[in-house]
Parts: sequence; structure tokens; C-alpha cells
Amino acid sequence: MSLLTVLTNVVAVVLVLHLLSLGVVRRLAGRELRRGSLRENVRAVGPTAAVLGVLLVANGAVRDVGVELSWLIGLNITGAIHALEGAFVADLQALATPELTAYFSFVYVFGYVFLLTFPIVLYALHDDTRPLAATLVAYALNYGIGLVCYVLFVAYGPRNFMPGAVESLLFTNWPEVQHLTSRVNENTNVFPSLHTSLSVTVALLAVRYRAAAPGWLPIATVGAASVSVATMYLGIHWLTDVLAGILLAAFSVAVGARVADDEHGDGTDAIGTERAPGAGLEQFRR
Amino acid sequence: MGSESRLPADRRSVLAALGSGATVFGAGCLQRARNLTGWRSTQPVTFRIKTLPTDADPYALALAREVASWFRAAGIETTVLPMAEQELMRQSLLRTEFELFVMRLPEKFREPDALTTLLHSRFADAPGWQNPFGYTNLDADEAIERQRRSAGAERRSALESLQRTIARTQPFTLLTVPDDIRAARSAAGPNWQATDLRSPVGYLRLAGEYERSGEETVLRVVSTDRRATTNLNPLAVEFRRSGVLTGLLYDPLARRIDGRLTPWLATSIDLVDGDPPAARVTLREDVTWHDDEALTAADVAFTYDLLADTTLGDDDEDAEVPSPEYRGQSSLVDDVAVVDDRRLDVTFADADRGVVGRALTVPILPEHVWRDRTDTAAIGGIPVGTVTEALVSNNIPPVGSGPFAYVRNTPRESLRLERVDGHFSTRETAEFPDWIAEPAVDALSVQVVGSDVTAVETVADGEADVTGTAVGAATVPRIGRSEAAELLVRRSDRPYVLGYNTRRTHLDNPRFRNTLARLVDEQFLGDHVLDGYARPAVGPLQGTEWYPDDLEWDGGNPAVPFFGREGELNVDAAREAFREAGYQYEDGTLVGGGP
Repeated sequence: MSLLTVLTNVVAVVLVLHLLSLGVVRRLAGRELRRGSLRENVRAVGPTAAVLGVLLVANGAVRDVGVELSWLIGLNITGAIHALEGAFVADLQALATPELTAYFSFVYVFGYVFLLTFPIVLYALHDDTRPLAATLVAYALNYGIGLVCYVLFVAYGPRNFMPGAVESLLFTNWPEVQHLTSRVNENTNVFPSLHTSLSVTVALLAVRYRAAAPGWLPIATVGAASVSVATMYLGIHWLTDVLAGILLAAFSVAVGARVADDEHGDGTDAIGTERAPGAGLEQFRR
Repeated sequence: MGSESRLPADRRSVLAALGSGATVFGAGCLQRARNLTGWRSTQPVTFRIKTLPTDADPYALALAREVASWFRAAGIETTVLPMAEQELMRQSLLRTEFELFVMRLPEKFREPDALTTLLHSRFADAPGWQNPFGYTNLDADEAIERQRRSAGAERRSALESLQRTIARTQPFTLLTVPDDIRAARSAAGPNWQATDLRSPVGYLRLAGEYERSGEETVLRVVSTDRRATTNLNPLAVEFRRSGVLTGLLYDPLARRIDGRLTPWLATSIDLVDGDPPAARVTLREDVTWHDDEALTAADVAFTYDLLADTTLGDDDEDAEVPSPEYRGQSSLVDDVAVVDDRRLDVTFADADRGVVGRALTVPILPEHVWRDRTDTAAIGGIPVGTVTEALVSNNIPPVGSGPFAYVRNTPRESLRLERVDGHFSTRETAEFPDWIAEPAVDALSVQVVGSDVTAVETVADGEADVTGTAVGAATVPRIGRSEAAELLVRRSDRPYVLGYNTRRTHLDNPRFRNTLARLVDEQFLGDHVLDGYARPAVGPLQGTEWYPDDLEWDGGNPAVPFFGREGELNVDAAREAFREAGYQYEDGTLVGGGP
């Protein structure tokens, strides 16, 4: 079946990306990743991981309920978003070339999955628990808040609102992938862009914990920027969704890092960061 | 539209003025305030068009945006709001929460008598595709009633007069009549170019002509409409599109086969001329429901009673809740009397015998299942509103008597029906054409995908046989390039219309609607939005024998000609027309309601 083919492709490609990146990161870090800490880390973040797991399962299970509820109580803001930003996405698509389309399609599907899964592997192998804990908390916040927003706001993306001006580049060039995306998401769930928020979350965490894995920072930054642009370039999200996604990411990382410090910080400064007294952007700047 | 809040806003501003200036509250001042609040201030005219997103319909949103841009050029602030099909139908057909909508009219409005429920003022308050526009026009009412009771030249003249009236007063503007484009797998067997995928009978023809394979033969349909995977209730207004699937699950007394109304569940239907006309219906022998209960004349009588009033209340005390979907048909039937298990007498309402045949096409429902659905629908045991369970039940699993029976569904993903062995239509004695009598498929599956492009690719990949829902013109090159798929283009009978809610300010004014209609270039829409896979028309009966010559398209709309050329609006002419209609312009914005 097509769905199975797409799924197999994604798993295979993401696995390859994982192996490649582990090599690159280790090289850039200039030291072995410590495997010994894996068991310890898993034990330490077990409860957080369980919460994230429950949230993900619930997300899948209540997706139908969420959509029904959304049409009952949600606010249809498609027109408002369009009034706010106009034809920005259409202008962006004016730059389209076959190569860019191929690149952004790849990033949107494979790159995104890789970007989300790799930090978990990376930080699980690290001897400090905090990056892993912060990542899991931040993911959970992204999904949780995203889910609430999807119930409260009904919005269609530019590809569904401006046919003619905005092309659905991903699905016209690669229709099979819609078998996958229509299983995991609804076309009314675009505000905010979870693709953007989760990718930016990964990048902000890479900045925050760059001492833990210096090699990861450039990959995560380029990846997050690419995914954010891809969501608009492919006509799936509005600029508004992307900006909201970035805000959500900043919030999630701020809370995630704080929780990680409170729960797992033992006073010793294992990865060269110290606890920030102030909240906000200070957390990412260090 | 903001008009509702006009008066309070004015009062507020007067009060504010009184309060802010530390005015002396003398009697003279209050008198002046009273004088002022008597006057209305001008309000800009603004509209919102509700329609479907591109995933659900390839053209609706593009059409709505094109219309909105013409309206804006004429100084009317117009926005477009997309929503899911089920939601659009709920808001515009059930709750009348809309100003304008862009949707396709259902197939049934090609039948002239069906215009009764679409446009008669008697149905202006009724839900579903019953006068969703709230259109009230005594001339139209009179013509509708006249066509129902007459035949031949008189009926034609009534229908022509009706169509001229609606072309002038515009309860809706017909935007364009699209061609239905589909992709079909060439190797599947049927002569695709000759099949008609708009009706259950068309699907029976596919099932008959399908290339039989060694093992189980499945006719696989791919669709962008997921509603049938969650609801198979033939009476549910917001879930039905063409009624193809429910038409395969349920049998009517008669079906239109090759253009002729042919007895289906009935072996014979003897029309008795009279005033009013009547019919003696004899059912086929040994017909059973899919749960093996016997189908009898009592089920038929029950169905007509249920459609007329889903509460089945027999006193006049309680309000009736008729089925909106089949109101046109059920309103043609006065009484159904059971003679014995297989025979019944149908007495029609006061209508011509040429018209009443339509009443025999409703799906016959099993009494033992639907008898329990006559109560007010409840959520968690608490009754909500007055609608009956029959109208809102998702009816899964459905118990029908049709040639296909329900097997399973995965909500939002798929649906599977299997052929019923020994269905009466396959008996030798039934004397149906071979393609009905000897079906080649064992099952029919419906797979839901996200958009028309994916639907086409699914057929091109050989994983489906045909796109059940029509796809957009942009997919035509894709179908052409595919080796496995062939392109089907057929004229459709379902025009896109811009529906007006004539209950709202401004839209209640026929002259205003007439002027709005003149801002729309139907020819341009067909050429540019639908890439030429369309033809312009004025009324829903275009192309039928009942259509008046003077409404034929001749280079332009004969009733409401476009202000401009080639899609380019002549703004001055449009403004002049609105001024003549009593409206004004302020800074290029159309305003109404001034002193």
C-alpha cells in the first residue's frame, strides 16, 4: 500500500540521517559520546517521557474528537489571518524552482522527523540529564498547547485558501505523501505551525545546551530554519502560523529548561551552563 | 453585516456626547438627543462568502475569491471563509447562518418539480435544501403550484414563467456549470466513457461491466469526501452529496434506468388516472432486508409516513418534523394504504400524473430499525432541540435491501460494501439489462484521500479504479501522462451557485441582488477558474426541455448581463446601477441605510 511505502521510506531515510549525524556530531564534539549514562538518563526522565508518550497517544486518539469539538466551539480565523498578512506566502512561492521544491519537500517530511528524534538520541547518550529532560518537557508543551489551539482555532492553510495564487507544492509534486500527512493531521489544524514550533524548539535547545553537543548546533539551526520556511514555501502554513510557532517554541524551551534545572540540576555544572536567575530570552543567549 | 448593532451604537455615541461635554442636562438637550437617535447613519455594505476549501472542492474557493474581487471592485467589502463540507451545509442549510455561499446545487434540481422545495415560499423556513435562500416571491409560488398540476404546454409555460422570474430576482446566481472530470483505470474493464457516475444505477453498470479477476473482484473507488465513512443515513442533510452509496444500500420502488423510470422494488406500478391520481404498487416476491427480515408493504407505508413526519405523531398537537432530504417527493404523496403483504395503494397529492412518478424514487427503509428513531434526538439521554433521531442518526451499520450491503467502515478513511447474493435484481424473472442482472464485482470499496491530486495518483498507481468525486482541471495533464489511467470528462448537472440569504438586509432587495449578479462574469469564471471545462448558464434547468429560449446563453447573460468585458468590471456602470437602486458611495465604499 502507498501509506506503507511512504512510511517505510521515512523510517529508512531518518535512520540513515541519524547514523550520519551521530558521526558528524561526535567528530565535531571531539570526544566519545558516553554510553554509560543512557540507563541513568532513561530512569531519570522516565516520568516526563511517560507524560509525553501519553500526550502523543492521546493526540492521535482524540484527533477526531478534537476536530468535531473544534467545529463546535472553535473560531474560524482563516479570513483574519489572510487579512493580516495578505499574499506573503504567494510572494514567497514566486521564488519557487524545482530544486528548492525538492529540497523543502525533503526537509518537510524527512528532515522534520529527523530533527525531532535526533536530539532525544543525542541527549540520552549524554551524561547530563537536563538536556533530555528539557527536550521532553518542551515537546510535551508544544503538543499540549498546540492541541488546545487546534481546538480553539479553525484555519485553513494558504494552499486551501488561495488556489491559483498559492500552489500546494508538496502534494502536487509528491501526492503519495498525503496518504501519510492526512493520517497524522487535519487540514484545519494550521495555527500555530507545530512543524515550526517543534523544529525551533530543537534549535533553541541546541543553543541552550550547545556545550553538551557543539556539533549539533549548526545542523539544528539550519534544519529548523529550513523547516520553518518549508511550511510556508510549500503553501501549508501562513507566516502568522510560523510566527506563532516560534513564540510557542520559545515559551516551551523556557519552561522546559527551567523544569529540567529544578528537577535534575544538582548544583554541579556538568555542561558548562549555570542556572539563570532571569527568565525569557536570557536562557537562549548563553 | 453590522446592521443589527446600528441603533445601539448610535445611542451610545449620543450618550457619550452628552456625558463628555459636561453638557447641561436641560430638557431641550434631551429633546435634541431624541431627535438625533431617530436617524440612522449610513453603514458600509459588507459580505462574507462561505464555501469549501480547495481540498474538498477543486473550484469553489477560487470561484468565491473571484466573485469577492468583483464585489470589492464595486465597493463592497467582501471576504471569503472556507469550511468543511459538513460544516458549510450545517451553517447554510440548517441554521441559515450565512450571507452568501458558494456550493454546487444537488443533482435533483434538474427535475422541474424539485424547484418546488428549492424556491417556494412555503419552505422558506424549512431546513436542508429547502429554500435555503429564504426566497419569497408570490409570482414564483404561483408558477410552481401551476406546473405541479398541469401537463404539456401549460406546464411548460408555467415553468418558463418561473424561470424568468428567478432569473430576474436572483435568489441565487448560477456561476457556472462544470464538467465533471475523473480519472479511471483503463484496465478495469468497463467502457468508462459511457458510464454515468452520478447515480447508483451508473455504479451498477460499472459493477456489471467490471473485468472479473480470479479471486475476489472489488470495484475500488477513491474519494475526497469522507462523510460517507462516518454516516450512511439517507435522511442526514449535511452528509449526503449525490446519494450514490445510500442508493446502493437502499432500494426505491422505482429507479431511473436509461432515462426511464423503471419499477425496481416493485414488479408493477399501475397508475390510475383520477383526481388526485393514485397507483397500485405490487412488490417483488421474497425480498428481504440485509438482516434477513422480510420486506413487506408495511415497510413501504412506514417509509412514506416517516418521511412526511419523522416523529410519526398522528395527532395535530405536535409539530411535524418531515425529512428535508425527501420533502419534495413525500409532499407528492397523500396516503399509502397497505392492501396485503405485497400490495399497496398510493394516493398522490393534487398533482399531474407526469409529476408524481418522482415520489416513487425515495429509499424504502426497514420499519423494524427506524421505528425506534422517531423520538427527539438526545445526547447522553438529554433531548436536544426538536429534531428526531431519524434525521441525525449516523445509521451505521445500515440495514437496507439494496444490491450492496454494508460490511465495515473506518471513520474518515474507508468504507466497504459487499454485493448481496441473490438480490432480486439478479433474478432471471426480474428482466433487467444484463449489466444489472449479472454483476461482476463481489464488493465495492471507498478509500478517502486528502485532495484531488492524490485521488488521481491513486488511480494512476493502480490502487483504485476510479475517482468517485470529480477532480479539478489542474489534474488533467497528470491523468493524460499516466499510462494506466484514462480521462473522463462529462457534462455535469450540478452547477456552482452563489446563494444569497434573502433574509438579510440588502440581500432582501431583489433589485440589489439583480445588480450583484451583474458583477459576475460567468463566461470568465468558466474559462479561467475551470480552464474551460464548464459552460455558462442562467437557470438550473438549462439544457432540459423545460428551459425557455430567451434564457439561452448568447455571448452573455441574457437576464443579468455583466457590467464589463472579459472579467474586467466596468466600475462606473456598476456604481451607477447601485445608485439607481438607492445606494450611495462614500470614499469608494458602497453604503446603505442613510438619511
